[in-house]
Amino acid sequence: MEKQYASIKDYGYRDFTKLNKIYSIIKKLLVILIVLGLYLSIIVIAIQSLNESRNLSSFTRLSFQWYLNIVREQELMNAIKNTFLVSSIATVLATFLGTFFAIGLYALSKKSRVLWMLLNNVPILNADIVTGFSLMLMFRLLMVVFPNIFGLFTLVMAHLFFTMPFVILSVMPKLKETDPNLMDAALDLGIKPYKALIKVVIPAIKAGIFSGMLLALTMSIDDFVISYFNTGSGFDNLSIWIYAVIGRRNLTPSVYAFSTLLTLFTMIGLLTYQFLQRQKKGKNNEKNSTSSVSSQS
Amino acid sequence: MNKEFRVLSRPYMVWLSVLVFFPILAMIFIGFSNLDSSVSIGEISLSFSHLNILTQSSTIIAFRNSLIFALATTFICFIFGYFIAYEIKLSKFKNKFVLLTLVILPMWSNLILRTESLANIMSENNILKSLLGFNIFGNIAGTWMAVLFGLVFTYMPFMILSVYTALEKIDFALEEAALDLGLTPLKKFWKVVFPLSLKGVVTGSIMVFLPTLAGFAIPKILSRGQIVFIGNIIDNKFIYTNYNHGALLAVVILIFILGSILLITKFDKEGETLL
Amino acid sequence: MENKKALIELKNISKSYDDELVVKNVDLTIYENEFLTLLGPSGCGKTTILRMIAGFIKPEEGEIIINAKVFNDLPPYARPIHTVFQKYALFPHLNVIDNVAFGLNNRTWNYLENFYGKAKIESEIKELSKHKPISVKKAIKNLIYKDSLQALKLVKLEGFISRKVDQLSGGQQQRVALARALVNKPQILLLDEPLAALDLKLRQNMQYELKEMQRNLGITFLFVTHDQEEAMTMSDRIVVMKEGVIQQLGSPKSIYNEPINRYVANFIGETNIIKGTYIKKDLVNFLDVDFKCMGYKFAEGEKVDVVIRPEDFDVVDLEKAKLVGEVVFSLFKGVHNEYEVKVGMEKLLVHTYESYEVGQPIGLTIDPYEIHMMKVDDSEQGV
Repeated sequence: MEKQYASIKDYGYRDFTKLNKIYSIIKKLLVILIVLGLYLSIIVIAIQSLNESRNLSSFTRLSFQWYLNIVREQELMNAIKNTFLVSSIATVLATFLGTFFAIGLYALSKKSRVLWMLLNNVPILNADIVTGFSLMLMFRLLMVVFPNIFGLFTLVMAHLFFTMPFVILSVMPKLKETDPNLMDAALDLGIKPYKALIKVVIPAIKAGIFSGMLLALTMSIDDFVISYFNTGSGFDNLSIWIYAVIGRRNLTPSVYAFSTLLTLFTMIGLLTYQFLQRQKKGKNNEKNSTSSVSSQS
Repeated sequence: MNKEFRVLSRPYMVWLSVLVFFPILAMIFIGFSNLDSSVSIGEISLSFSHLNILTQSSTIIAFRNSLIFALATTFICFIFGYFIAYEIKLSKFKNKFVLLTLVILPMWSNLILRTESLANIMSENNILKSLLGFNIFGNIAGTWMAVLFGLVFTYMPFMILSVYTALEKIDFALEEAALDLGLTPLKKFWKVVFPLSLKGVVTGSIMVFLPTLAGFAIPKILSRGQIVFIGNIIDNKFIYTNYNHGALLAVVILIFILGSILLITKFDKEGETLL
Repeated sequence: MENKKALIELKNISKSYDDELVVKNVDLTIYENEFLTLLGPSGCGKTTILRMIAGFIKPEEGEIIINAKVFNDLPPYARPIHTVFQKYALFPHLNVIDNVAFGLNNRTWNYLENFYGKAKIESEIKELSKHKPISVKKAIKNLIYKDSLQALKLVKLEGFISRKVDQLSGGQQQRVALARALVNKPQILLLDEPLAALDLKLRQNMQYELKEMQRNLGITFLFVTHDQEEAMTMSDRIVVMKEGVIQQLGSPKSIYNEPINRYVANFIGETNIIKGTYIKKDLVNFLDVDFKCMGYKFAEGEKVDVVIRPEDFDVVDLEKAKLVGEVVFSLFKGVHNEYEVKVGMEKLLVHTYESYEVGQPIGLTIDPYEIHMMKVDDSEQGV
């Protein structure tokens, strides 16, 4: 008997193989264009940082002088210092407090937890301009009692206010994933509740704490609008300083150099982290090679 | 979790309540009173005289600009962001986390600096032109196209992340079930994948819409002050310390935001796609 | 089986993941109207075979022939096959009836016109047009709704039409998944461990119902499970698999009674496998005693493995016994008692209604037809 091959047309479908080929080319093109669009600005920043001339309208010669100049730019260094001061204080506090607050919220009844998580979303969803402006107004009202309130204190408070919700939001799902008996098991073994919290629960949610911390740091370092409204005179972070200087059309290319260095460091950091993770996983996979095969069938 | 730990949430409840409600109340209060630096405490009274700012034509134009740009940005981000998120999901590359990080990596450099460098290459003579020999944008500096381009590519990562989070949660067996029941891959997408990813689309849209609607730095830098958003007016009121007007305008933005929060809670009860 | 029509033929099918062969040169023919079960532990390749037939993965070698046509390159949606998934895979954004109607609702009008046939559609139009005129599309939609209702009735869920699927219990979800596949009137229904997530009582009920359904609807069921009891209760034929290779293919009875090797014998229920010697026709020696046997042919003096199911021992008085042992362990199992009996150096598993205490002597005999023998296979060291 001769072999018969079933064809897709016999079953009421059209054959789109050719069309699919064209579509996949368009698709690749589109991906490249979008990614270029996303990266365009940081590519330009990198080019500008390597340009010998201060003039942004033409590339004269390749030069690394702006990189060497970073530390000599007083105003820039000051802005960088302020940014890291505010962000590191805010991130450490937000991570530490946010973790315990999240555990507290998780212990609530489901109904009130949903309610408080809703309120927790407000600083995340609220437009920066509303958050920034309204916090500023509140601090202004407080000026009656504390005349010199604006500056480091208001900035840290404002940053804590909008970063802590991110920590809580990334810790919460990890808490939900933990075995509800974990705590009971620890208590059953005679460990006091708060000790159990630190010995058992915190290690179980550390991935969530870590990603919450990264998120808080990212949000805090890159913030412009909220800081803009809540800083005091002279206490500029990087964004505010750049915003002020570009108004004067007088930006030193060392800023581009600094920004490019930061991008490179984050990229290298992330790739190393990924590499280490993969190595760790690779080792685990060797151990579990048999189980991975069985899960496929 | 042990009920004993509920006490841990008390300080946060106080903190949240104070910092969410008090500034907003202060803002509403200042928007509707005669309070300013020249008024002493005894003379504070209710005042609706600031409401005239809302009917000024410059305010209305600014609101219209903000709204139109926010809607257009959201729509374009939805189309392209969804596309990228879906491509990441389909990609054979095993480590999806790396791809996602690459998408958000630009967000880690300073927003103002990025916007400024975009503005630079949109002008007639720019550094890219001197390298490539031609202008990739033509000469769009100061136009609506410049603003839209900046907004779209600044906020698209939010859309990509939210949509990807939702896409990733879709059980692969559901897609197989759809194929098994006779749906072509295209139909499968529209009938199964897309409806199940709507949660992420809603969250992503709001994450793009709100900062666009209320932003002021990007339009100011990219339009060179030609296109005024509502945020620019608030910024001006802030600079000239006219807090009453600024507060009133911020209250209007707040109303938009409350609407969005209601929408999000309808789709996503505990904010799972926010991250 | 020879006179039955072959529906699916697998010819020399192989598939590997990451260079590891999970299905090795499998040949299998599945006939019309039969209930065939692929049985084996996880990782034996049974689900892979199912997924290749459904079209989710492609075999690297060999041919999948359905209705005498090669189907290797056809995508899953073009195959006349439907699957009931292990975790049901119900669409969470649709209610129960929309889940059931999902497949038909998304077919082309052409397909649906063929599916229902002109006559049926016309009679539906006639019936509905009594009140007001009705289009063909409306009539088809109505037929789909009717069919979906019918399918839900079949699985006893007619009262749950507009329920959301996540408000259903596991058993009910299982039924919806079944209705969703059956409403498309597939020639072949693939079931991938569909009962694994249900509790014991529910599972036993569903086993019975599935078997009934298969018989009444006349659809071929290809069932995958790792549970030998489940396979025994439902199947017409069972395929026992190990590491991607078919070990034995046969009716539940023949597989239970005449396992082909140690692996199958151990996998299909508890059993005793004792080393013995085939002395001559109808005579075998094990545990230093000669036993009459019947129906097996080996070389005289050949070493064999003797298989005796625990319930096949007869417990008798010591003087009538061919084997005398000592009870070393006892367990009450409700209907019967389970004993471990030490005979010489060998421990035997014995099921009986009689009661013995640990330490008591016990006498055993075995009827000739209960003695099964297999060729000794050194590579098979149990499961």
